Formats: sequence, structure tokens, C-alpha cells
Amino acid sequence: MRDEFYKTLASPIWWGALVIAAIMPFVLSSYYVHILTLALVYVALASSWNIVGGMAGQISLAHSLFIGIGSMFSAALLLKLGINMWLGLVISAVISGILGAVIAWIDFRFQLGHLSFVLITLAFAEMGSIVVEGWDFLGGASGLLLPKDTGNFLAFQFGGGHGAFWMMLALAAICVLVNVAILNSPLGYYLRTIRDNEKAAQAIGVNILRYKITAMVISAMLASVVGTAYVRYLTFADPYLLISPVITIEIVLFATVGGLGRAYGPALGALLLVPLGEILRGKLGSTLPGLHYFIYGIVVISVILVTPRGLLPLFERLWARWRGPAVAGKP
Amino acid sequence: MTELYQALAQGLLIGATYGLLALGMGLVYGVSGVVNFSHGDFISLGMFMCLALYSAFAMDPYVSIIITVPLMIAIGALVYIFLIRPMVGHQFLMVVQLTLGLSLVLQNGILMVFGGEPARTPSFVESKLIILGDVVLRVPHIVAFVVSFALAIGLYIMLRSTDFGRSIRAVHQNAHAAALMGINVGRVQVLTFALGIGILALAAALLLPGTPIQPTQGLRYTVITLLVVVLGGMTNFVGIMLGGLIIGIAEAFGTIYLDGPIGLLLPYIIFVAIMLFLPKGLTWSSAR
Repeated sequence: MRDEFYKTLASPIWWGALVIAAIMPFVLSSYYVHILTLALVYVALASSWNIVGGMAGQISLAHSLFIGIGSMFSAALLLKLGINMWLGLVISAVISGILGAVIAWIDFRFQLGHLSFVLITLAFAEMGSIVVEGWDFLGGASGLLLPKDTGNFLAFQFGGGHGAFWMMLALAAICVLVNVAILNSPLGYYLRTIRDNEKAAQAIGVNILRYKITAMVISAMLASVVGTAYVRYLTFADPYLLISPVITIEIVLFATVGGLGRAYGPALGALLLVPLGEILRGKLGSTLPGLHYFIYGIVVISVILVTPRGLLPLFERLWARWRGPAVAGKP
Repeated sequence: MTELYQALAQGLLIGATYGLLALGMGLVYGVSGVVNFSHGDFISLGMFMCLALYSAFAMDPYVSIIITVPLMIAIGALVYIFLIRPMVGHQFLMVVQLTLGLSLVLQNGILMVFGGEPARTPSFVESKLIILGDVVLRVPHIVAFVVSFALAIGLYIMLRSTDFGRSIRAVHQNAHAAALMGINVGRVQVLTFALGIGILALAAALLLPGTPIQPTQGLRYTVITLLVVVLGGMTNFVGIMLGGLIIGIAEAFGTIYLDGPIGLLLPYIIFVAIMLFLPKGLTWSSAR
């Protein structure tokens, strides 16, 4: 059952890619390391979202809540109550998990269906941003400024540029691995059954509530942990970035561009689009603010119209064609 | 007591326009099953068009609808034909992502053209007030209320008793049977989407006087519209107008009676509560 997962763990390509990625900070300038770090943040976020949005087919727009709890709440705990950020990370992850379970339960209990689920989660996300902007404990509209990163590992500090990059690389790798693991486990099959036909899944005895909650809790906790690491990297907890529904929309679009429900799809989408967007923003951000979002929008619309399943399946088809029919014919 | 009347009046006035915003979305959903997540950004687009016309020709928003409505109808038709129609049918949830992408494009297109500073478009009625006893009403709100209701009634009559209206209802009830009766379903869907976007151009002009606008506001309008449409049971005409009034009143009560974030949350709390206990919205009659 889990052969694929262990094969991935033992795969030299996987570890090779990871090692090559890990030596990047010694090769690239700090500007490009920064861009890669951001890309890894979104790889991790899009992959964690994929568990609910891709595999279970539930377009959750509530993930800004989990990212927001992981970032704003753990920052507030540190600044207002002096709670160590490692502990803050755990507390935030637990709260996010509980909130995720509640949302999944509401979805199940009230039989929302896919479309209503999108609407309700968007309403929840909007409520979250209103609460944070109006609540001084979480920084209000002006945000929270974390103490300078001095590299004290025990205080959840990684020493700026390089350390933060490795931290994000580890988190992104974990999120992608979790995707691989779930896709090849019974949970992954159940989730895909729920996505493709919820009534049929119920009829053959799939415990829908249990698997929906499991998927949502895993996804929410991962997103929260990534949120904590992200805010530590940013140093400034900006509510308009971290708990705005726009961050979820970005993640959804990255995952869609890469390939929904595939283990590496969301990672591919984020790795392609984030550097593109950041470089555009760096070059033209002062003259044309918003250009990178504009490009994201154009890219996602084009990808959906040309290859609705995302770029990963498209690349696979092209690869198979290039390798010749012998491989293409493989099941 | 004065506060109560003030909140009620304000909520009713603004709620009628919310209802109008939502009617466009409900019509489109009823005919082609598409929920447009860039709805609010089209409202933004309409508002910024008015702003541009004001800056260029000092045109009052109420006058500029002569230009913005046909323009937005054309944009709506093009968006449906080239972006949404290819998706309808085979990939239902993909339309959600597609319109989210479209929302980013519109929002940031506006940002690139107009910049991020909040802007205002003056109108000749902007600062006029009407005082009824203790209740102070702003003239733009009254205009918005009257026009919204007039338009809603006009739409209702159109749906009831014109051929186009009947074809919309036919496609809503059973697209397959409608096609067999000789109705060009594709054409009805394009026209309805275009009409829905055209209504937004009108609503934008109604909401504009006295309201500061900025490019990032679109998503919030989308959410308000969604709240109203879902409350109204997605396609029920009366339910949607009622939903608009409820959300408008909840918003007015929230800002007048409750301090801080709780006040702003009131519409959402009421929405979630109604959704959980009346999952089909305020009406059951047109269950789809």
C-alpha cells in the first residue's frame, strides 16, 4: 500500500534535488535566496492546502485563518505574553487543527456540498480578517513587529537569510512528503472517492466525517506551522498579507496551475509562479504595483483554459510523447 | 429610539442596492450554474469607470451610466464567451478558480491604472440630506433605494412577461427541455451573464457618491453579494431582495450599536446562523 511512499523516501532523485536545493544559499546572491525562500513558503502552503482542496476536492478558502493563527497569534503570544515561539507554534497549530475540525464538521453536519463550502469558508476567512484588524491583542490593523532574528534556535530564530531558507526547505519537503504519503495511503483513496462522488462513497461505507476531519486537521496544522515560520522570516506580522483571503486565493491558484490533487502539482505551480511574480515585483513594483498578481491571474486563466488539470499532467504528456510510444503506452 | 429608526432606515436603503447586486449573480447562477467570484471586482470596475469619466469630462456618476452600462454589458458578454463558456459543463469547480484568477486580473489591472490611493467621485447629490423627524437620510442612499427597487421590479416584470424573460426561466428550470423547445440556450446564457454585469454598472453608480473607493475593495463586495445570494436561496427573486435588506440592516445595526470588530461581524454571524438552520436560504419554494 505504501510502496510508493517508501520508494520516494529511498529515491536518489528526491534526495539529490533536496541537497542541490540546500546548497543554493552558497551559490546565489541573497536577493535570489530571498525569492527562493518565498517560493518554498508557498510550496509548503499550496501543498498543505492540496490535501483538502485537491485530494478531497473541497475548495477551502478558509486557509488564511490557519496561516493567520500560525503567524499573528504566535507572534502575539510572544510579544504580549512572552511565550516562546516554539510553544506558540504548537499552541497555534492545535488551535488551527481544532478550528479545521469544526469547519469540516459544519460542512458534514449541514451537508454543504462543494459550492456552499466555498462560500461558507470565504465568509469565515473574511470574518477572520475583520477580527484580527479590530483586535489589538493580535496587532490590529497596524500589525506586530517581532524582535530581530539573532539566530537563537531555542527562541525559534534561524539567523536570517540562510537559516530561514533551510527551515523553509525542510517545511516544504515535509509538506510535499505528507502529500505523497497521504496519496498512497487508504486515506488518500477515501479522499479521492469523496471528491469524485460523495454519495457513492457514503454508500460503500466510507466514513465521510472521519476522513474529512482528518484531512482538514492535517492541512490546517501544516498551514499554521508554515505560517509561524513565515512570520518569523518576515519579522513583521502584517495582517493585510497573512490573514487576508487573498493569500488563500494565491495558494489555490498555484495549486490549480501546477495540478490539483497531485503530490508535486502545487509545488510545481508555486515554484514557477512565485519567482516570476517576485522578479516582476522587484523590477516593476514601484511603477506598476500589482503587476505580479495581474500576471498570476492571466497565467491561471490561460492554464485552466488550455489544460484544466494543471501543468504537471501537461508536462507528463509532453515527456511521454518525447520519450516515444513505448513509455507512453505504460498504464 | 432615534438610533433604532436611523439604523433601520440606513440598513433598508443600502440593503436594496445589495439586493440588486445579488440579483445579477442569482440570475447568472440560475441560468448557467456559474458563481462568479470576480463579481465584486466588476463592481469596482464600474466604479472606476465612473471615476475616469469624471476626471476626464467632469461627468456625474448618474450620467456616466449611459456609457458604463453598455460597455460593461459588452465586457460581460466577451468574458462569458471566451472564458467561462469553455468551462461550463465539464469542469464545474474549475469555474471557481477561473473567476478567482479573473478577480486578481481585474483588481490589479485597476490598481495599475489608477494607483492604490482611495479616491472619491463627487456627485451633485453627494452632500444633500433629507431630515424626517429625527432620522437623517443621505440623498444618494435614497436614490439608490428607489432605483434599485424600480430595477428589481422591472427585472421581475421582464422575467414574467417578455419572451426573453420566459426563455431565461425556461433555461433555469430545465435547460435540456428549453433547447428542445427551440430556445437558443447558449445565447440566453451569454445574454444573462452580460445583463448581470450590466446591472453591476448601474449598482456601481448608485453606490459611488460619497463612498471612497480603492482597487482592493472588490473581494469584500463579492463576499457581501455571496451572503445575499445564498441567503436568498441562490435563485429566488424575492428571497434575494429580502436577503439584501437583512444584510443591509445587520450591517447598519452592527456599526451603530456594537463597537469594533463585533459590529462589522454581525452580517456574517447572521449569515452563518441562517445558513446552518435554513440551509436552503430564506425560501424553499424554488428549490433547485
